[in-house]
Amino acid sequence: MSESLVILLLVVAVALAFDFTNGFHDTGNAMATSISTGALAPRTAVLLSAALNLVGAFLSIEVALTVTNAVVEIQDSSGAPRSEYLTDGGSPLLLIVLAGLVGGIAWNLLTWLLGLPSSSSHALFGGLIGAAIAGLGWGGVNWLGNGEELDGVLGKVVLPALMSPVIAALVAALGTWLIYRITRGVAERFTERGFRWGQITTASLVSLAHGTNDAQKTMGVITLALLASGHWSDTASVPFWVKACCAISIAAGTWLGGWRIIRTLGKGLVEIESPQGLAAESSSAAIILASSHLGMALSTTHVATGSILGTGLGRPGAQVRWRVAGRMLVAWVVTLPAAAAVGAATWYLADLLGGGLGAVAVTLLLALGAAGMWWRAHHEPVGAHNVNDDWHEPSRPVPAAA
Amino acid sequence: MENFGFAFEAGWQVVLVGVLLGAGLPAVFAAGIRSLAYAGGGATTSGADGGPAAAKPLGTVLAGACFLVVILGIVLGLTFILASGFGKELDFGSGIPTLVDKS
Repeated sequence: MSESLVILLLVVAVALAFDFTNGFHDTGNAMATSISTGALAPRTAVLLSAALNLVGAFLSIEVALTVTNAVVEIQDSSGAPRSEYLTDGGSPLLLIVLAGLVGGIAWNLLTWLLGLPSSSSHALFGGLIGAAIAGLGWGGVNWLGNGEELDGVLGKVVLPALMSPVIAALVAALGTWLIYRITRGVAERFTERGFRWGQITTASLVSLAHGTNDAQKTMGVITLALLASGHWSDTASVPFWVKACCAISIAAGTWLGGWRIIRTLGKGLVEIESPQGLAAESSSAAIILASSHLGMALSTTHVATGSILGTGLGRPGAQVRWRVAGRMLVAWVVTLPAAAAVGAATWYLADLLGGGLGAVAVTLLLALGAAGMWWRAHHEPVGAHNVNDDWHEPSRPVPAAA
Repeated sequence: MENFGFAFEAGWQVVLVGVLLGAGLPAVFAAGIRSLAYAGGGATTSGADGGPAAAKPLGTVLAGACFLVVILGIVLGLTFILASGFGKELDFGSGIPTLVDKS
């Protein structure tokens, strides 16, 4: 087996692992509200979300192969890898992609352990940026784009991240306020059932949109690796096995359920009632679809979190836990540089040890780190059984009921 | 720094769609539920005299209209997701959403 084939196989495996973390990291974006209001049993919710992610991923008939172009310069605009990185069976390019994926996974796992909903796309982009800086220098990063559309690190990552949570919070707050205003005085037997159905429907839309959007990123990355190593030559389509593996991987991750993150979103940030759940998911669905139509690349996580926060602002008397919101905000700001740092360190290490050996070593390190975090998580397990337990801020005693 | 201009341009449109569909549709849905309760005589927990209020068919019609609007909104969202998977997009230029090839 040649060295580049070894690296290619590792890239494919690690990319699918990233897709898996992407799945469980984002389950809460769609389902946290339905789970915490009791509209769906926790296990049913993650199963529904997983099924819709699977369907959504398979619906991606036309996959853009230019996913990395948003932040780094390793492909041309047709999606073909740049020829200067194709020596040694594409090893230089494969190593950058591998290091980027390792950075993305490491950050996704750490934030999951801490129960923080951070953006999986930012983690992936951060890892790629770090690996590109290490491997190609500062010029290897597409900082500002070409000036013809929203592009580059600024246009595809920074600006959408600043705008989308604010817009989502605003819309969800308005929606929540309207719903409570309109249904004031209506007997609960009418509101409860209706809003549960509304919630499930809108959450399903968010899950489906997530499947079509996020699974595509991994499909694009794997196909890029196949193009670079000469195992695929068509820049207009994706091999079917890649599509199937990515779809199954993201769905399996979703089905596992990122319970820690679901708990933070559904119980920690705001205590949610059914009408708020409906308002949050409607706002998320409308904003995700509208911005993807307008070419604004945004993170499902930022929108969902902003929406849930907004429902806390819009319901008179609802309490928003600003300490939790503050921790999330810190995680969002840190995501890109932290994943970039891991990506860069990974590239240097792999480069030091040399192609095939380096790739094997960093993959083993990643597996060790993942196992360590998994083991750590089992000290304080969060699962379907306790996801809806009362939330206590650890560092502050709960005031006694008056 | 063209990015700021593009972001602003896309941003206000997202706000507009968000307010119309993301907040407007749930409000219509809520109005539908209120109509349904009105139809069943339960808009308030009890009638003016303290007993249950009488059923009103107008409420059923209003509720139906509200839910129809909401369903149309959901179908629009679903079409959008499906279309983007097939390399198409919705064009709103003519006032009525139509499917066109992605540019």
